[in-house]
Amino acid sequence: MNDHSEATSADTHEMASRIDTTRPHPARRYNYWLGGKDNFAADRASGDAIAAKFPGIRIGAQENRKFLRRAVTYLASEAGIEQFLDIGTGLPTADNTHEVAQRTAPQSKVVYVDNDPLVMVHARALLTSAEVGVTDYVEADLREPDKIMLEAARTLDFSQPVALMLVAVLHFIGDDDDPYGIVARLVDGLAPGSYLVISHATDEHLPEAVKAAFANMPDRPSFRDHEQVTRFFSGLQLVPPGVVSSVEWRVENEPGPRASVEDVATHCGVARKP
Amino acid sequence: MTTAEPGIGPSPESGAAGGPTVLRMLLGAQLRRLRESKGITRETAGWEIRASESKISRMELGRVSFKERDIVDLLTLYGVSDDAEREALLSLAREANAPNWWQRYTDVLPNWFQPFLGLEAAAELIRTYEVQFVPGLLQTRDYARAVLSLAPDNPSGEDVDRRVAVRLGRQQILTRPDAPALWAVVDEAVLRRPVGGTEAMRMQIEALIEASKLPNVTVQVIPFSAGGHSAAGGAFTILRFPDQGLPDVVYLEQITTALYLDKRDDVEAYAVAMSRLCVEAEPPARTVKILEGILRDL
Repeated sequence: MNDHSEATSADTHEMASRIDTTRPHPARRYNYWLGGKDNFAADRASGDAIAAKFPGIRIGAQENRKFLRRAVTYLASEAGIEQFLDIGTGLPTADNTHEVAQRTAPQSKVVYVDNDPLVMVHARALLTSAEVGVTDYVEADLREPDKIMLEAARTLDFSQPVALMLVAVLHFIGDDDDPYGIVARLVDGLAPGSYLVISHATDEHLPEAVKAAFANMPDRPSFRDHEQVTRFFSGLQLVPPGVVSSVEWRVENEPGPRASVEDVATHCGVARKP
Repeated sequence: MTTAEPGIGPSPESGAAGGPTVLRMLLGAQLRRLRESKGITRETAGWEIRASESKISRMELGRVSFKERDIVDLLTLYGVSDDAEREALLSLAREANAPNWWQRYTDVLPNWFQPFLGLEAAAELIRTYEVQFVPGLLQTRDYARAVLSLAPDNPSGEDVDRRVAVRLGRQQILTRPDAPALWAVVDEAVLRRPVGGTEAMRMQIEALIEASKLPNVTVQVIPFSAGGHSAAGGAFTILRFPDQGLPDVVYLEQITTALYLDKRDDVEAYAVAMSRLCVEAEPPARTVKILEGILRDL
């Protein structure tokens, strides 16, 4: 079967060995916070350690998924978007991007991008479209915007509007890796009428003691404040209510008790490319 | 769940035909976890459903059938208010109580296999790895007949027919409204071994091509060219259930018995092996091409 194998056997063995369950893994840890079953002891220990410093993390993860659901629903139903580029897919959970979009617009096309082989096999097997919709998968890192745009173009028509989704992923990109340059490069490739969706962890609302605890964490996220998150939307038109907490973004039609801004510590926004 | 908890497989005391199904034990174990997490005694729980402490104990061990009203009352007592979570557990109770469609075939089905039928029907995700045969849920009639004729108990032609009927009956879960996802990894050897002869194998491969186009079915092939791979232990199946509190169950079939593993350490060891296999296997998008190539070689 070598005639249609791009990856060599040595490559796939190397990728399989990257599934290391003895060390915490961000996507599996996030799955744990969301109450999923695709996580291991090291992920749970790390997740519990973070939750001990920042008890809002579980509710923050859940509210982040609710934001994704509301944002995609808004884009599919009110903004007429039918193409989605979802970078930092994570392990499948309830209401994945294509499910939400295709519920409103069955013909929606969604490209999932992640840099993790475990996430990619789950996405290819389980994030699949029925009938008229399309889903495709790109294994790439957010730090490789050109590769992402090139490979996503197999499925997405970049001469038409696309929603670029950077949900809970930019805080894994430190300032040294030029996050603003990466986002600008991606947005450059989008047609007018496209949208940028961001959710981003922040320590703005955290008590000093919690901030201090995070400061000593070896793989701490790159928290950014309201001004820094807003700067990702430079040159774009923010959709009301602008950059706000995940518990404040267009929640009017979603009943139920709401967590506090302090609990979720997440900035969110959706903006249109003019 | 802790490793100190009893496993949910058929234990010596429950091994008799008609004993508690694994489904009842799964539901019972979950009710116990919910009760204990609220620090509620068996006595209090029993009072809530007008029953004795020992009735609760028997329910939690899966030794008695469940009344829907009792489950509703217990879930309320245990503070389970989320509708989806309540419904997942209630539908499990209904499944555990329902007369099973395979009841009239029990004479040809080993006791240790019957719980699997209930678990498979209750699962939302079925992950399976096969080294020798096409996964049962994807077998054609002729292929299934050939496989089942090979059973070590030398079944009569009539018994084979009845076992084939069960195998094909199982497949209906894949097209029901809330169908589970089936994610299968098969070794290339499965596809190269002409079980039932060349013609039966051709029809089987063609059926696999069709099945792999279903949105809820994923087939990945591990080509010979991959060399050695991660699952030295042979075929296994991992079942996942809709309720968040229920553990995954690993099913391992042997010649005279089967193992049902639900202890976290066991399940996770198999989950890691399965994940590595999925990474090593060809991606699902290549499956149809691979199967068409094998058809040409037949």
